[in-house]
Amino acid sequence: MIRFKNVHKWFGKIHVLNDIQLEVGAGEVLVVCGPSGSGKSTLIRCINRLEPIQKGELIVDGMEVHDHKTNMRKLRAEIGFVFQQFNLYPHMTALENVTLAPMKVRKISKKEAISAGMEVMEKVGLGDKIDAYPAQLSGGQQQRVAIARGLCMRPRIMLFDEPTSALDPEMINEVLEVMKALAREGMTMVVVTHEMGFAKEVAHRVAIMDVGQVIEIAPPHEFFSNPKSERTRLFLSKILSH
Amino acid sequence: MLETFNFRVIFEYMPFFLKCFTATLWLSGVGLVGALAVGTLACAMRISGSKLLSTAAGVYIESIRSTPLLVQIYFFYFGLPSLGIMVTEEITGVVALSLNSGAYIAEILRAGVQSIPFGQIEASLSSGLSYFQRMRYIVFPQALGVTIPPMLGQAIVLVKDSALLSLIAVTELTRAGQIMTSERFMPAEGFFTSAVFYLVIYFMLKSLAGWSEKRLIFRESR
Amino acid sequence: MWKNYLTRLVQSLPFFITGLWMTIAVSAISLAAGTLIGFFLGILRTRPNRLFRYLIGAWVDVIRGTPFLVQIFIVFFILPEFGIHLDAFPAAILALTNLGACFICEIVAAGIRSVPWGQKEAASSSGLTEWQQLRYVVMPQAMRTILPSLVGQYVLLIKDSSVVSVIGVTDVTRVGWLTVQRIPHGLMVFGLVGLLYFIICYPLIRLSNLLEKKMAKGTR
Repeated sequence: MIRFKNVHKWFGKIHVLNDIQLEVGAGEVLVVCGPSGSGKSTLIRCINRLEPIQKGELIVDGMEVHDHKTNMRKLRAEIGFVFQQFNLYPHMTALENVTLAPMKVRKISKKEAISAGMEVMEKVGLGDKIDAYPAQLSGGQQQRVAIARGLCMRPRIMLFDEPTSALDPEMINEVLEVMKALAREGMTMVVVTHEMGFAKEVAHRVAIMDVGQVIEIAPPHEFFSNPKSERTRLFLSKILSH
Repeated sequence: MLETFNFRVIFEYMPFFLKCFTATLWLSGVGLVGALAVGTLACAMRISGSKLLSTAAGVYIESIRSTPLLVQIYFFYFGLPSLGIMVTEEITGVVALSLNSGAYIAEILRAGVQSIPFGQIEASLSSGLSYFQRMRYIVFPQALGVTIPPMLGQAIVLVKDSALLSLIAVTELTRAGQIMTSERFMPAEGFFTSAVFYLVIYFMLKSLAGWSEKRLIFRESR
Repeated sequence: MWKNYLTRLVQSLPFFITGLWMTIAVSAISLAAGTLIGFFLGILRTRPNRLFRYLIGAWVDVIRGTPFLVQIFIVFFILPEFGIHLDAFPAAILALTNLGACFICEIVAAGIRSVPWGQKEAASSSGLTEWQQLRYVVMPQAMRTILPSLVGQYVLLIKDSSVVSVIGVTDVTRVGWLTVQRIPHGLMVFGLVGLLYFIICYPLIRLSNLLEKKMAKGTR
């Protein structure tokens, strides 16, 4: 579904992605973790070309993302992206946020969009908040609306860039529950996060990145109990101890 | 048109243009100094506790801001004689410019003073500084950092405003263009040359504003 | 003596009102045209195309760096050399529209830049076209910053319109200038002219301040 082949990226002089080889299959849930500056956010942002790559091949759902001529719009309609800062449209209600893209990109009628929108809002547990404005919602609720906004396009892949990092601790769970439900339904997901509990429960594989490289990648039970790399051990000891 | 553009005439008139360029700089400079004086006074009146002073300053500022500069210039040019006051056009012009820009500078200063976090005032009060000491060491230096860029913006406006003085027969840059038009029937050569001189002043002030913004950012703690 | 002047001034009032209408006409037409062109160029200014940005940027610098009076003279005296002969009224509209479009372009560009970058990323991530992103996500939010500055700019343009009186457009400033030749009491005549401008401009300035406060409250 997603294939990184010899991918390199630089921000000026900084080699932010260094020879990435990665494959994510359909229906797989991949968790990416690592210290800040490791390139994990950049990695996920390359998948829908929010960041372009300079070298290598990146093939997503059969389309060549590295090729400048590829029309990203069509591909982006198949990929849902959830941001750390939610990025909900403040001048629209929750329902309007969710139905904007389906109406304008998939060109479905307003009636259909509204019923689809209400369906996803129910799914994330916010059926009663469809007419609320983002400013009236808590952080956890806003992020769930953001997930609904992604889901309403019926994407094949959902990408999450540190979805709970900007939330107060008591709201992290409500978002993780929604994400776990998605994972169990078989959605292809790439999640950048520090929430190792989530990884243990629903991830098929966990990858750790540092200085632009994928240091180690393994199924959770192996990754957590038997890490092969020293850097992985160091990182795990730091985040699991608090 | 470029073939018929008469560079020789411009060369011939260049001493005159340079004289007018200097005049524009001089008028703007004096106008700016006057504006700073008027503006500081008006600002002090506006932020003083006294309702009378504050309202008086307010009336002055709002009248200036709601009427065109040209009308203000004509007001003084035609109005002062009817009061029996006979002064040169230059003085009339500079007075009008000072009073006009003074109102805007008063507002710039007011915004600058009000931008200082109240916590700073409290801290300086607690350490026992007098009103003047507070102003000198705490308020003024910080207000300066915030106000220099808009002040330079107002300086640019002032230079452009000085062009209107050509309409009351003051010899400056725009008048040079008018004279080229009336004496030699060459409006293009005349006004383009004036425009170039104005642009020189504009870009100088603009880079000064950019430079000062960079230097003063260090003052503010982020 | 001045009572005599006052009576004659009051008698001239209709003349002033006509002049006021001319001021309003010149301003309104230029504001409308300037707003349309300004919005168009302001949006262009924020696109990645470097050529547009440099060209528009250069034009903005020239218009902002030279006095409006010189610009009017150029339009009125120099265009005829290119074969374009304009009467005073169209020339005034042209110059004032040009001035307005320039400043409004900058206001619009600044407003668009003030929208958080994440908004654009979220919109483009869901597959919306550039135009759709602008129309549904960016512009509605940019208007919050643009609107108060826009009204403020309208006030400035109305005041700048007084300068067109020098090429013979009979706006309220020119009426004052003509009147003071017959009624040589500058304070009264231009006091009246100033008052008329005040009546138009002051409410707009208050509106601009009100909008600014209202917009600041809305954001979180």
